[in-house]
Amino acid sequence: MKNRMVILGVFLAFGFCAQAQKYFTRDARVQFNSDTPVEKIEAVNKSGTSVLDTKTGRMDWKVLIKNFLFEKALMQEHFNENYMESTKYPNATFKGSITNLSDVNFAKDGTYKVTAKGTMTIHGVEQEISVPGTLTVGGGMVKVTADFVVKPADYKIDIPGVVRDNIAKEIAVTIDASLKPMGK
Amino acid sequence: MLKKILLFLVVAGVLGAGIGYYMFNKKVPSMASEKSEVAIDAAQLYQEFETDEAAASAKYVGKIVAVSGAVLESSTLEDGTPKVLLDTGSDFGVSCEFDPNTKHAKTTFAPGEKLTLKGECAGINLDVQLARCVVVE
Repeated sequence: MKNRMVILGVFLAFGFCAQAQKYFTRDARVQFNSDTPVEKIEAVNKSGTSVLDTKTGRMDWKVLIKNFLFEKALMQEHFNENYMESTKYPNATFKGSITNLSDVNFAKDGTYKVTAKGTMTIHGVEQEISVPGTLTVGGGMVKVTADFVVKPADYKIDIPGVVRDNIAKEIAVTIDASLKPMGK
Repeated sequence: MLKKILLFLVVAGVLGAGIGYYMFNKKVPSMASEKSEVAIDAAQLYQEFETDEAAASAKYVGKIVAVSGAVLESSTLEDGTPKVLLDTGSDFGVSCEFDPNTKHAKTTFAPGEKLTLKGECAGINLDVQLARCVVVE
């Protein structure tokens, strides 16, 4: 009897894993680095949200600008007030889809190279982008990592002449998120 | 006389550069030393964002807000950052990420525990999010 319950439990657990269609996190880590000979700037956001639909490949990402943490107070202030205008544009989003969804088997543990294509909105400006990333399926979770570059000029982020040499023309962005089946 | 003026200019220059350097390198201060501008219930804060995001953003984003409510979930991120989700009676809550520049006396809380946290309101991202939080005694 006990054995049967265990078997039933295992079946239920597997059934649940296989059926989970939407994965979700509210703890996505989004980090960026601006590296110039004059200055190194680094900030991290640990409260990004992400929803992934494994059936359609649809992905929605969102971070609040005010939740980017810097080491230096002045950098955090300039970032929010002068560059990102975070009270006017409180968030940045990416809404898109995985273009090679058929390469991913969400029922099988493994690492899959993917490309996400969609609309990135930063500072109220929309841009169509295509980003390479990695999905790691394991332990009932989907881990998403990606590295890409954002150019402030593409999003009408104006950097004044005096500090132009302090801020990189290309900002390196790193995404790291572990998505759990929705509904816990 | 000229010497005195020169000396004054040099001293002023050095002082100015010193203050500038200090300001430039100043770390983000601990939230514990900041005063809250608004005190509100978690459910009410969420309700305001849910009803009218633009109005609530204008009212709260960038402000230091003290939020009271019952703990729905208490967790720790991989890098050690504690987070508390306050119950709002709806699907989403008020998410409070703990301040990295403060030594916290307590970082894990039992579900249902009543708590007041103070932090900078960042807006709504499924949950209403508060940055750099500390527990208010």
